[in-house]
Amino acid sequence: MQTHIISLLVENHPGVLTRMSGMFTMRGINITSLTVSPCEKEGLSRMTVAIDGSESELEKVRKQLSNLIEVVKVVDLKEDKAIIRDLCLMRVHVKDLNARSEVMQLAEAYGAKIADATLDSVIIELTEEPKTIDRFVDLMKHFGIKQLFRTGVTAIGIDTGVEK
Amino acid sequence: MTREKLKGAEIVVEELKNEGVEVAFGIPGGVLLDLYDVLYKDDAIRHILMRHEQCAAHAADGYARVLGRPGVCIATSGPGATNLVTGLTNANMDSSPVVALTGQVPTAAIGSNAFQEASTFTITMPITKHNFLVTRTEDLPKVIHNAFYIANTGRKGVVLVDLPKDVLATRADLNLHPKETFTGYKPKIKPNPVQIKKTVEVLANAERPLILAGGGVISANATEELRHLAESLGAPVVTTLMGKGAIPENHPFSLGMAGMHGRIYANRAISECDALLAVGTRFSDRLTGWQLDQFAPEATLIHVDIDAAEINKNLQVDIPLVGDAKLALQEIIKWLEKKKATSPGSVWVQRIREMHSACEECIGDVRREGTSLSDMLIKEISGVLDDDVIVTTEVGQCQMFAAHYYITKKPRTFISSGGLGTMGFGFPAAIGAKVAAPDKRVVDLAGDGSFLMTCQDLATCVENDIPVVVCIFRNCYLGMVRQWQELFFEKRYSNTGLGTIPDFVKLAEAFGCYGERVEKPEELKDALHNAFESGKPAVLDMIVGQEDKVLPMIPPGGSIVGMIGTERCKLI
Repeated sequence: MQTHIISLLVENHPGVLTRMSGMFTMRGINITSLTVSPCEKEGLSRMTVAIDGSESELEKVRKQLSNLIEVVKVVDLKEDKAIIRDLCLMRVHVKDLNARSEVMQLAEAYGAKIADATLDSVIIELTEEPKTIDRFVDLMKHFGIKQLFRTGVTAIGIDTGVEK
Repeated sequence: MTREKLKGAEIVVEELKNEGVEVAFGIPGGVLLDLYDVLYKDDAIRHILMRHEQCAAHAADGYARVLGRPGVCIATSGPGATNLVTGLTNANMDSSPVVALTGQVPTAAIGSNAFQEASTFTITMPITKHNFLVTRTEDLPKVIHNAFYIANTGRKGVVLVDLPKDVLATRADLNLHPKETFTGYKPKIKPNPVQIKKTVEVLANAERPLILAGGGVISANATEELRHLAESLGAPVVTTLMGKGAIPENHPFSLGMAGMHGRIYANRAISECDALLAVGTRFSDRLTGWQLDQFAPEATLIHVDIDAAEINKNLQVDIPLVGDAKLALQEIIKWLEKKKATSPGSVWVQRIREMHSACEECIGDVRREGTSLSDMLIKEISGVLDDDVIVTTEVGQCQMFAAHYYITKKPRTFISSGGLGTMGFGFPAAIGAKVAAPDKRVVDLAGDGSFLMTCQDLATCVENDIPVVVCIFRNCYLGMVRQWQELFFEKRYSNTGLGTIPDFVKLAEAFGCYGERVEKPEELKDALHNAFESGKPAVLDMIVGQEDKVLPMIPPGGSIVGMIGTERCKLI
């Protein structure tokens, strides 16, 4: 069991997201994260899907996705050959001046931004690899996370890029 | 290319005609009034009014399987569309090309729970190869063209087009007969030469080669190539249920159907072979049994399939060969001939001869000890019907008796619900088959339970002069489930007894059909003759034993070598 990241180029049609996610549901595979947006090609969108599963499950999924009529391209992105990013927004409780300065120092160390601040909380924005965000979230739990939002991963292949 | 201002419904019919559609099976409804108005004025397309939408889908499926090109069914929004679902799932599971047109409430009303509204687009997404919800009249030509293109290329399947009322009623000025398709849809058909060479290498050096033919061989019109390869290689052929007809079953190299209810020697050959060339099959559990390590344990497995997603899905294979079965077989034959392969060892040839004749003996001997009335009747039917008759089946015991004992000699003459196992399929599929091939006799081998699920369409047969013959194996049980209850649940016949069965002869007559009862197998020949001679749709009510069983079989959880009920087989 490991996390796989699949990058899909799909026709930007209504229903294509349902069709794609339905394929995973039919085969009993859980999507752990999903992002969709238009891309550089007119009429096409790019989806980044993260799933947990074995290599053989990944292979089956890859072929089933390729079979969908509106899927133009399927790429299995390997962790060491891709830039993988997740965006996290969180509201952290800061009970006093001490906590506030500690939170801000840690945020700085992680390259996070303070997007907003109130008297008893700060909103922190961090774009990083998912694992780094996991570590930062764990740290912030000590202060008290009031709300946490993550976009899920998006990824791009290195070297020549995803598309050739 | 013409430029005219046409109504959406007129565009649909124009595009259907352009795709070569001659027949559609359907039932109209409120949102389809515009479409049916065009069908009324334009008689280029013969519309057959069915009595249930499920039957419309099955009829289109049967039509497609006989002709090898898409069948068309039409249903209205809401209940019309939901009634189609079983039939479409059935066709898609068996890779049968069907295009379904459904009415939908006007685009502005979609999502408002309007009268007869159901979300056909989302309901049918997982049961079709592809589907469309058309929201603009301008999109109709492209959508209809692509529906047929997608249904009938690559691994064939079902495409549904959902047509809102306003899309059909609006006029648009546009170009008809477009050619463009989806950039991501490239039905790969040419097999990879490297894989072909590997295949040839294995086959040429095999001592005990075997060919496993699935429905894909028939779908790709590759039966001639298959027979040629079997003969030149000296390899026997076993088939799946869907592959029945891929080789004449009286051919000396044919060992019949393999699998759970297959012939014992077909399964033995799978266990004994050292190279297995599987063509157009998906290794379903009904073929392999449940212990996959016991399936062809000594063989190098070669898998030819047009759908890459089938490779290594159910069974890990040694040599995958993605491509059209016809092209793949032609290439294999070509390279084998260049290689001047040595024919397999005489031990294997001798073994196949023995197995073939042992099976022939069992199949041919009508009065063999332990033979049930059902066995006798199906053997009788197989003896009486000529090679061109198209046989359809319902699902359950009647289907497995037919698979076992009905000797299929030509492709597209044995039509059965393989993947989904849909009771009630055979009769409406027979309607579709008869419409596709009006000159051929069409017989549905039915169970009483199955026939009662779709028998209302006898009215369709009478009204449209579609004389199919339904032969009912009447045991007053849901026989296959009863058999399992007998064998594996200590005869606790929970809800499988059908109790009071209608008088099928009177039922037939009430619809205006011919009906006759067959109480003994020897009466069957005359009854079939009478049925065909009547020129009417006909129902033969054949009385069989209540405890007749389909044997031998692989018990649940068992392997392909662990068949039970083999006492009736001649064992060698």
